[in-house]
Amino acid sequence: MEKIASEAQAVEFVRAAREAKAPFEIVAGGTRRQVGKPMADLPRLDVSGLSGIVKYEPAELIITAAPSTALTEITSVLAEKGQRLGFDPADWSRLLGSNGVATLGGAASADASGSGRLRHGAARDSLLAFRGVNGQGEAFRGGAKVVKNVTGFDLPKLVCGAYGSLCVLTELTFRVFPKPPLAVTLCLADVEPEAGFAALRKIALSALEPAGLAYLPAMMMPGVGPQIGQGAALIKLEGARQPLEEKIALAHGLLGQSVQRIEDDPFPAIASGEKFADVPGHVWRVMVAPADAPRVAKELNAQHWLGDWAGSLIWLAAAPADASRVRAIAAAAKGQAMLLRGSPDARAALGLYAPQAPALAGLSRAVKAAFDPLSLFNPGRLV
Amino acid sequence: MLLPPTNARIVARRAEIVAALREIVPDGVVADESGLATFDSDALSAYHQMPLVCVLPSNRQQVSEILKYAQAEGIPIVPRGSGTSLSGGALPREDGILIGMGRMKRILEIDYENGCVTVEPGVTNLNITKAVEANGFYYAPDPSSQVACSIGGNVAENSGGLHCLKYGLTTNNLLGVTFVLPGGEIVTIGGKCGAQGGLDLLGLITGSEGLLGVVVEVVVKILRKPPVTRTLMASFDTVTAAGACVAAVIADGVVPAAMEFMDGRAAEAIESYNQPGYPLGSAAILIVDADGVEADVSHAISRVTEIVTQCGGKAVEATDEKQRARIWSGRKAAFAAMGKLAPDMICMDGTIPRHALPFVLDEMAKLSEKYELGFCNVFHAGDGNLHPLIIFDIMKPGEFERAEAFGADILRLCVKVGGVLSGEHGVGVEKRDLMTDMFTPEELALQGRVKCAFDVQGLFNPGKVFPTLSACVEQGHIHVHGAQLPHPHLPRF
Repeated sequence: MEKIASEAQAVEFVRAAREAKAPFEIVAGGTRRQVGKPMADLPRLDVSGLSGIVKYEPAELIITAAPSTALTEITSVLAEKGQRLGFDPADWSRLLGSNGVATLGGAASADASGSGRLRHGAARDSLLAFRGVNGQGEAFRGGAKVVKNVTGFDLPKLVCGAYGSLCVLTELTFRVFPKPPLAVTLCLADVEPEAGFAALRKIALSALEPAGLAYLPAMMMPGVGPQIGQGAALIKLEGARQPLEEKIALAHGLLGQSVQRIEDDPFPAIASGEKFADVPGHVWRVMVAPADAPRVAKELNAQHWLGDWAGSLIWLAAAPADASRVRAIAAAAKGQAMLLRGSPDARAALGLYAPQAPALAGLSRAVKAAFDPLSLFNPGRLV
Repeated sequence: MLLPPTNARIVARRAEIVAALREIVPDGVVADESGLATFDSDALSAYHQMPLVCVLPSNRQQVSEILKYAQAEGIPIVPRGSGTSLSGGALPREDGILIGMGRMKRILEIDYENGCVTVEPGVTNLNITKAVEANGFYYAPDPSSQVACSIGGNVAENSGGLHCLKYGLTTNNLLGVTFVLPGGEIVTIGGKCGAQGGLDLLGLITGSEGLLGVVVEVVVKILRKPPVTRTLMASFDTVTAAGACVAAVIADGVVPAAMEFMDGRAAEAIESYNQPGYPLGSAAILIVDADGVEADVSHAISRVTEIVTQCGGKAVEATDEKQRARIWSGRKAAFAAMGKLAPDMICMDGTIPRHALPFVLDEMAKLSEKYELGFCNVFHAGDGNLHPLIIFDIMKPGEFERAEAFGADILRLCVKVGGVLSGEHGVGVEKRDLMTDMFTPEELALQGRVKCAFDVQGLFNPGKVFPTLSACVEQGHIHVHGAQLPHPHLPRF
């Protein structure tokens, strides 16, 4: 395993790998290594030394950091100035049984968006610019450190969710936003999935700009008490004191009733997948049109499941034997079933997503080849 | 502006090509000279070129057949939406088929349950909002040309608008597209589920300026109209103070829905054009929209008012919906109003970091002295997206050349302070030759390879966005003569 700590070293390493035609795996904190197709026994490039905040410009609402900077470092530095990252990064390390440190680059590469995606968009919506090294061993940049830019192809979109298949990232520039001073979670208790998701959609399609909308069956909320009944629709609202009170009143109006508030924020444990950490089997993220959530959840018929993003994201644990059924249900709903946790054999057989239509799969391979013609970077993991 | 050389062999086969296209689209081939003249330019009117032939398909199968034919025969393709591009993205080729998407303008589905609308590419931006506004919804991106520009064109250009400060560009409001690849394959990318199951090709296609294929269906998000919107107008004694105020508002953490800047010269031209009630005698004016729930809007309006005062400005709030609409109607008519001010002008479009606003405004004033040409500024200040308008008289020897050099220097200034050549108008042919000022040869080569991933033969919109090796020094801009725009009734930027 080779370790690098600068862009120049990344260039040197890639050039040597290119010369030797030797593909490698890119690893930073390592928390997401078990996601996607396993990549044989490749040499590893340890990029954890590419760490640290390069420039934080609170007044410009922009932060530039090396990709292996810990998410916790970013979050706390931003919080000191009352700001937050432009997207809501999810740390899956507990779910995936990793002791590593979740990094900014890892979250971007996996497009790992938490419950806040509903309001703030995904990583791809707030990554403004990046630097990286392509498969020719050339350092390059994509995008620019300004909030509005249509000059050339929008490469920052491509590197988000690419699982390291396009380049070795060396620097990332994200938008940041003011962090609302207060947040509250409302709990509509004892509702069946159908009614619960309907309530969430009503809030999602309002002007309340909710920060989280999830439905949890009762067994996924242990310790909250028997009043949860069959399950609960959770609504997270944010703002300064007065606007927040106004939003709560409007939410009560939309729901047609006054509902209880939950003291502790339940969303971090929803977004991280840790509710499934101790449940055996595969863990899936199934993305569907939100209105299909009740039907799809019923068809999936999982014991352990929950719905985030107002129903657009269904998490579930399922036995390995159910894999093709899960994929078929997602496909029938014109959705995507992402295998987030599975054995190496299962991941090799199933891939991160279902195989794409041939024309799309061909395009994806061609786009990877444009960046990485010899397929040196994380070959086969996603593309 | 040097475009790839015309292929005389294709031009010589014109009659045969027209006949072949009539086989595919019997009722939608334009081949007569007067008909083609309609399509010889987009809104970058300095450039004109009659297309070889124009075809207007009415369904995706026809699009696919046209592209298969063009690829088999090696004929260039130029896609066109409503032809409102300000950067020459839809400029035809003498040896190319212009494929106009204007007939595919059905709204296919309005899905309130999922908060989205599925449309054909020729539907205008504003018609999406019109289709859903009775139910309290709207489509957020609002380019000033929204009455005419098509959603397919918005996807191709990643269009912005007045309110993208809060709501993002097209790319942030798009769920999926159906796309015809240069070889004729029809692919669906993304959809109501908001996921793609692989690389973010949707993000790549958005803003690709017609270089990768043709959009035949679009799924966009719609949003609930905010319950409250309030508008503030602030006037300043110096341009620099207004620039500093913009930077201070952004730094304060207020996120207005829109924050627009115009200098005194622009404000006076607009005031004399359609009387929106702008204060005269100021050096600069800001228009700020805040929207959301009542308490959030009140907070934003009072914070902005305080900051305006601290920066030495005077703030006045619109008292009712009618006055709000008037203030915005002036802003949207800025381009047409400026046309009354001078015989000729060119409009630039760069983005800069917002903290650099006061510096860049000062530097532009110095460039104005250097080139002995007047200019004025109307732009999306909250995003740092500048639209300087350079005023000149083409009848005076040397002025056009000086205006072009002035414009290129402004864009270079944007790049120098860490900004970009285009915030929302696109590169097209207009800024193509400045791409080397922003990107290294390796970066341009990489983007070129990405294009090849879609378009192996290089038939899609050749000569746009990427400079050729034999680049000519001349750069184009939006050139307006005697207040005549290609679409004079259309609001701009």
